[in-house]
Amino acid sequence: MGAIGYYLERAGIMTTGISLVRENTAALQPPRALWVPFPLGRPLGAPAQSEFQHRVIAAALDLLSAPRGPVMADFPEDAPGGEAGARVQACPVSFALADSSDVGWVSRLRSEVAQLADWYDLGQRRRGRTTFGLSGEQMEALVDYLGGLLDAPEGEVDLRRFKFALEDARTFYTEALTAQPGEHDPERVAQWVYGESELGRAIVALYQRFAGREETAQFARIVAPRQALGYSTGDEQLHTGSRDE
Amino acid sequence: MVRLSELPEYERQHLLAKNLPPLTPSAWRAPTKPLAQMRFALITTAGLHYRDADNFKFADASYRPLHVARDVNELVMSHSSVNFDRSGFIEDVNVVFPYDRFRELVKDGVIGGLSDVHYSFMGAGLLPQMYEASASQVAGMLMQDNVDAVFLTPV
Repeated sequence: MGAIGYYLERAGIMTTGISLVRENTAALQPPRALWVPFPLGRPLGAPAQSEFQHRVIAAALDLLSAPRGPVMADFPEDAPGGEAGARVQACPVSFALADSSDVGWVSRLRSEVAQLADWYDLGQRRRGRTTFGLSGEQMEALVDYLGGLLDAPEGEVDLRRFKFALEDARTFYTEALTAQPGEHDPERVAQWVYGESELGRAIVALYQRFAGREETAQFARIVAPRQALGYSTGDEQLHTGSRDE
Repeated sequence: MVRLSELPEYERQHLLAKNLPPLTPSAWRAPTKPLAQMRFALITTAGLHYRDADNFKFADASYRPLHVARDVNELVMSHSSVNFDRSGFIEDVNVVFPYDRFRELVKDGVIGGLSDVHYSFMGAGLLPQMYEASASQVAGMLMQDNVDAVFLTPV
């Protein structure tokens, strides 16, 4: 982000914007940056909180009046967590029902996706949109493909097809699990996906497959989040030194 | 979040490893007009694009134009990193790409105007210098569009 700001400013265009990792921004020193104490992935803080989002933007726009730079400021508020009554506490499905070790990955994932399908549809209706669709494939075909890679783990994998199939599967699950109206804690959603679902176990298994081969070890880092590996193994050493985004 | 002191050690070390020195020589465009006369564009490094555009590659310094004549609710995200929350974007595109908020600022007269074309990069896995060519191209198009200032959002 800091690089884009630098090159635009060098060309004569003023820039201001959000910093999510203060230490990185302080080191790179882009022309103007507002550090916000929000989760990665949420530069404006929280969804459907227009007044809060406006306060963040206003604080970043204030930096444009600084006579000289680089200038960096800290946003003083944490992201709103929603009213206690508005926060969604319960997972809409019981993943334990889908878990059966006597059938293969494809069957287990199909069963889980069938449980989630109505929730995915509900989420799409409530939001009026879906962010699914990077792979160009339907969800049923995606679970057959992803589960098949674990049921029959030989052969080469088309990494690009695999990556976007996985991203669509993750999106399908996230949209289904957050279909209910209300405030969803991103950490709780991640816990449902990676700590409880069959898909989460599949992602970790696929990560291990890629990480175990020299030629795909780098790729493994964009398969499973460090957080998911922590849920599955508790081994922090797995994550140390990885570098992606 | 994201206060490094509150993160697990592996996450803290991962993020600190990304500290890089400033680009040189320093760049600074001083303000020449009040906010209410400035025309804005939005740029995100969230890897957003419309479904019919190419997905970003795993490490990719290219950009995608985001034409707002289309519905920004149709934007999808092909960012390669898996280490950030996507549920906020799923719920509300403005969490990452605050287009509705900036339209409201134009309506309220807080800013002077908003471009019809915005831009998306994917901030992942590349050194800052790798963005020089594509960011300079975008700068040229923004100048042509009389954009005075850009609001930047990472993920």
